[in-house]
Amino acid sequence: MLPDAAGAVSARAAAKPDEAAVIRAVQRGDQDAFEQLVRAYDHSVLRLAMNLLRSPEDARDVYQEAFLRVYRNIHTFRFDCSFHTWLYRIVTNICLDHLRKRKVRREEAAVVDTADGPVDRMDSFEEEAALADPERRLWNSQVSIRIQTALGELTPRERMVFELRHYQGMRLRAIGDVLGTSEEAAKNCLFRATQKMRAVLGDLI
Amino acid sequence: MNCEEVTKALPLYYYGELEGEVEEGVEDHLQSCASCQTEQERQRALAAALDRHALAPGADLLAGCRHELARAIYREDTPAVRRTASDPWGLFREAFHSLWHPGIRLAQPAGAVALLALGFFAARFTGGSFSGASFSGLAPDSIISSIRSVQPDNTGRVQISLDETRRRVVSGRLDDENIRRLLLAAAREQDNPGVRVESVGLLKDQCNSAETRSMLLEAVLHDPNPGVRLKALEGLKSFATDPEVRRTLAQVLLKDQNPGVRIQVIDLLITHQDAATIGVLQTLVGKEDNGYVRMRCQNALRDMNASLGTF
Repeated sequence: MLPDAAGAVSARAAAKPDEAAVIRAVQRGDQDAFEQLVRAYDHSVLRLAMNLLRSPEDARDVYQEAFLRVYRNIHTFRFDCSFHTWLYRIVTNICLDHLRKRKVRREEAAVVDTADGPVDRMDSFEEEAALADPERRLWNSQVSIRIQTALGELTPRERMVFELRHYQGMRLRAIGDVLGTSEEAAKNCLFRATQKMRAVLGDLI
Repeated sequence: MNCEEVTKALPLYYYGELEGEVEEGVEDHLQSCASCQTEQERQRALAAALDRHALAPGADLLAGCRHELARAIYREDTPAVRRTASDPWGLFREAFHSLWHPGIRLAQPAGAVALLALGFFAARFTGGSFSGASFSGLAPDSIISSIRSVQPDNTGRVQISLDETRRRVVSGRLDDENIRRLLLAAAREQDNPGVRVESVGLLKDQCNSAETRSMLLEAVLHDPNPGVRLKALEGLKSFATDPEVRRTLAQVLLKDQNPGVRIQVIDLLITHQDAATIGVLQTLVGKEDNGYVRMRCQNALRDMNASLGTF
């Protein structure tokens, strides 16, 4: 798990008492409050979309669609669950749609074939220092492609559970709430995801 | 538990998702089984490899997304407004609306155009002065953040409903809750690294609050300015044994581009010796470009009687 995710979770927990007031203000049409709400969550939403879809264009689409849905439907939010859960239900649905469409179209958004061999389009988003060292860059590129392959082996649902647990630091119970499934089913997804990735990445780790 | 059961449980053990009894069983087994310890290391290595290749959206992408969202919402909110280039009021409202988000750099030029446009049109409509217009309560130092409605009447006048923000100066002691909250907000002020450095520097001595510590962890991981990250690291010194802080420090050590930050992280991590730290330092030795950082790392491993490479 990335440690910042834990930080984000605790920050969210600390912000909760104020958050209800902010949400009510948004429901009354206060745009400044909406901005505040967006800013509290949009970085982690964008990061989730970026890591799941490995495409800044798709991540941008997910961001826009998700927060527009929030804006249009916030009046239906009744505080039956946390806003985080409500928001992530929206975001994960949009991301899962993207992933499923991509599977159907057999698209591979991140890794493209070039004259120099397969290249990860997202390499430009990774460590700048690696660019200075050709050997390290090559190694990074190979690992990155293998990670893409490993992630490509996962079903959209396994991919989602893994992203939410590993990168976003969410507990499996909360992931079950977001995805409308049981904690046990989320646990099985995480287990299968890890096994598949170890099978592909085994000799690199 | 036997080796097969433990190996199967390791992924969930790593994520802290096993039930208490099973978790204890795994821990007991791990203490005495070298082969399962190796499997545990492989699980950690997998997680570390995945972490290294995680993508973090850049500030430009985030700012672009916010800007597009603000515009999309503006379009949703004003379906009846004509937005043609020849419609000055439409241009007006659009430009002002882009001030809705003062943190979005892309919006600022449009906002500046709007302010100029307001001056221009106000001059035209009022004959070179504001006389005749009623700007009740509009302070001279206020900034108009958005226009809510424009209503002309049949006498040739127009009533404009707007939101204004005003710059204020507040002062207080550092232990004042309101001051602390403002500093926490300032520490996340993405457009002004100077403000962030100053705020983190002030908050770092008040790390006993969970909110402050969370902010420092966020800053050390994500702040684009190394000065801010170094200040945040200073604040985390007294928590160098905390597991969450150590996990964050390990992440920073493996991904931060600044050698000064990496050196400070090494200094913090080696104040407390554990297997995870050795693993992180060994990984760093293998990939570190900077000779001095690599040497510090090797020295630290020698001090811990650990090998310099991984298995």
